[in-house]
Amino acid sequence: MDTYLVSVLNGLAMGSLLFAIALGLSLVFGMMDVLNLAHGAVYLSGAYVAVAVVGDGAGMAVFVLAVLVAAATGAILGGALAGLTRATPHHLDQALLTLGVALVIAELLAVGFGNDVHSVAAPAPVDGGVTVFGETYPVYRLLVIAFGMVLAVAVYFLVERSRLGSVIRATVADRVMVSALGINTGRVLVGVFAAGAALAAVGGVLAGPILGAQPGLDEKVLLLALVVVVIGGLGSVRGALLGAVLIGQVQALGTALLPEYASFMIFAAMAVVLVLRPSGLLPDRTAVHA
Amino acid sequence: MTAASEVESSYERQDGDVVAGPARRRGPRGPLVAVPVIALLVAAPLVLGPYPVTTMTRILAFAVLVLSVDLLTGITGLPTLGQAAYFGVGGYTAVLTGLHVTSDAAVQVVAALAAGVIAAAATGWVAVRARGIVFLMLTLAIGESVHQVADTWKAVGGSNGLSGMPPISLFGGPPIIAAGFVYWWVLAVAIVVFAAVALVARSPYGRTLRGVRDNEARMRALGYRPTLARFGVFCLAGGVAGAGGALWVSQARFISPGDLGFEIAALALLSVVIGGRGSLWGPCLGAAVVLLVRDNLSAYVGGHGPLVLGCLFVAVVFLVPRGLAGLTAPTGVRRPAGPAGAHRRESAS
Amino acid sequence: MTALLELKDLTRSYGSLAAVDGVDLKVMPGERHALIGPNGAGKSTLFATVAGTLRATGGQVLFSGADVTSLPESERARRGMLRTYQHSSLFLGCSVLDNVALAVQRVHRVAHRFDRAAWRFRRAEAEANRHLDSVGLADRAGAKAAALSHGERRQLEVAMVLAAQPTLVMFDEPTAGMSAAETERFVELIQRLPGNLTLLIVEHDLDVVFRLADRVTVLHLGRVLASGPPERVQGDPQVQQAYLGTARTEDLFIEAGDR
Repeated sequence: MDTYLVSVLNGLAMGSLLFAIALGLSLVFGMMDVLNLAHGAVYLSGAYVAVAVVGDGAGMAVFVLAVLVAAATGAILGGALAGLTRATPHHLDQALLTLGVALVIAELLAVGFGNDVHSVAAPAPVDGGVTVFGETYPVYRLLVIAFGMVLAVAVYFLVERSRLGSVIRATVADRVMVSALGINTGRVLVGVFAAGAALAAVGGVLAGPILGAQPGLDEKVLLLALVVVVIGGLGSVRGALLGAVLIGQVQALGTALLPEYASFMIFAAMAVVLVLRPSGLLPDRTAVHA
Repeated sequence: MTAASEVESSYERQDGDVVAGPARRRGPRGPLVAVPVIALLVAAPLVLGPYPVTTMTRILAFAVLVLSVDLLTGITGLPTLGQAAYFGVGGYTAVLTGLHVTSDAAVQVVAALAAGVIAAAATGWVAVRARGIVFLMLTLAIGESVHQVADTWKAVGGSNGLSGMPPISLFGGPPIIAAGFVYWWVLAVAIVVFAAVALVARSPYGRTLRGVRDNEARMRALGYRPTLARFGVFCLAGGVAGAGGALWVSQARFISPGDLGFEIAALALLSVVIGGRGSLWGPCLGAAVVLLVRDNLSAYVGGHGPLVLGCLFVAVVFLVPRGLAGLTAPTGVRRPAGPAGAHRRESAS
Repeated sequence: MTALLELKDLTRSYGSLAAVDGVDLKVMPGERHALIGPNGAGKSTLFATVAGTLRATGGQVLFSGADVTSLPESERARRGMLRTYQHSSLFLGCSVLDNVALAVQRVHRVAHRFDRAAWRFRRAEAEANRHLDSVGLADRAGAKAAALSHGERRQLEVAMVLAAQPTLVMFDEPTAGMSAAETERFVELIQRLPGNLTLLIVEHDLDVVFRLADRVTVLHLGRVLASGPPERVQGDPQVQQAYLGTARTEDLFIEAGDR
């Protein structure tokens, strides 16, 4: 029984990270139909920022510094990607552009950090464990769960309650109409792109002590984020949250119960959702017609 | 930008299509170009060493995969990042056939083709209900899922892949080992596949697919079921990709999860974009360019192939947006003001 | 004689707003029926609901006596209900011949054949060419549809719809955006259509309506205001009263038509 509870906690930690990563992918997709294939590479640059700044161990201040550096890196990359994709109106070309950027970023990271697997230590004050349900559980993961909750609440208030949020939601629902109303969607789009990429890079730092950093991780994370977005519904914040929590749990439970088939279970979950609800669980607009 | 101008500019892009009208019979230029090209391809092993010949074999097999992507992306307008999955299914089927059933290459190709069709039919329905960039995303997810399965499933060798496939033979003959003979077999199949895809493009079904690409609502209003048409071409493309996978392993005699990964899928899509969407020979040329850049040019830049490819992706989008085929197509088709032209009266009743 | 198209209490609402509100309508076989009304009357919504592009929220659509209310647009088209669009809806990346051939090959049940090149289905190709010829576009067969002028696009759409062997053709504002000469040519084209073909036309231009229609239905605020022969509808005091006040009917229609 206790192992299940631990796995639920692991799932929540994974879900928190996936929410941070998938949110930007989902909003960028929902608002401008851009499939940002460089999202995984942005995440990986965040992870390598953690490797460079935090390394094998550091205090909380250094870890926070790493988060800030990663956020800035992510925002710059996101802004650049937004500028690049706005240069062409064709969605396929935009996807190809982000794919090209992803290859370049991943290769530059491989040149800079080599092909080894790097690990990142949790910041010193929270690298221990606490007893939860009679078992020792890493404090750091509990903090990641807390971060996920804070992020979810903050994003909820930003998107559902603020004026900026209403522009974002309206743009997802009907882009043409929003520009017709005279709202400059361009600045909002670039902002969301940069913020989403910054979150992905921060996710890379926070995931560092759990997943480490290595070439190829960008692809895996991109895929997980895609699955989260597909399951949750394109452009939907609540969908991204639900999808992230769901996939986190499926993966944690799968790893605990059937380690060999954990990855199948994620895709099985996606397949079930796609067959039953082609637009995802909580779509903000109908992107798929039966 | 408005939806209307987006629609208009996508038509502009399609002016480069070489297979715009199947009603038009193959122009006099067709055989004039095709005959010398095929002759050169056939003669290649006689003058080239074994290394360039094996490279050309790989290019031909990859070109078959690219044709399947073109069938979806160029002709039907469905950009895909998932075709490598069916390519891999075909490759695994061919290796397993070679290991356990027969070394006959023809049987392997047919088995791989069937496996590709079945795999596409089993996974395609969720994808073909979407279109555009959502389709791209779903095919990416499907492709990566298949990749993960191949990577973890012990029965097909897991991440090590399958090796030890015996050399191919043909019609009960001796094992074919010489690179030149394998090349000729692959070339023959590739030409047959090319001809078959060209036939589909010119057939009434090809016209249906272009109709779905251009205007799905209109197709429905004419009594078509576009989703069904998309599903059909998805299965066809799966079969073509499967055949390509069999050709790929007929020379390598080895397959691993890397052969059906995201990179192969992305390179195939890039080849179609480089070659020109909807043209058939353009993407084949694109396949050659892409593989040569990846395998050969990267050696000159210190092994940073992905760096070069990444720059190539960006460069292609900005420099040859209509692809190689677009460079030779006539330009300047007269276009009247868009369907939402401002001079027209709008009514909102 | 049973009606070819019959609408019973047809309703299409958006939330609490009923854009089409309990419309009853009968279109007899061979009839040329025009649907008119000021902006916002619900003509386009009614049209789309009949064609199947929009789902009805209440009531029934009967076609040849069969209830087609729940059938998708493609199934209605297969039964012979074909529509045109307010802005011609064509396959702009395809050749002019392809546009018509797409309709023909569906009717000939060869749309999913890929064993032979299209031109070898000679019966279908000949029929496509015949339809192109009948609207005067034979010499443009090889051109891309995107290269046609606005008027030519309309002609091509008519050829495409006729090639689908309809029993009912629904025209959505067919002369919208046409020059006077193009309108004239279009009206002549419609007048030449076989007499057994049933037409339902949504049109702003009253001049066109009175030349083509033998029955006119006036829609106002989602309801049928009047229905009958053109002369009677034109003189109907209710029509004039409802949304003209004291002005004459013609003024309203001219204003609505020339906008």
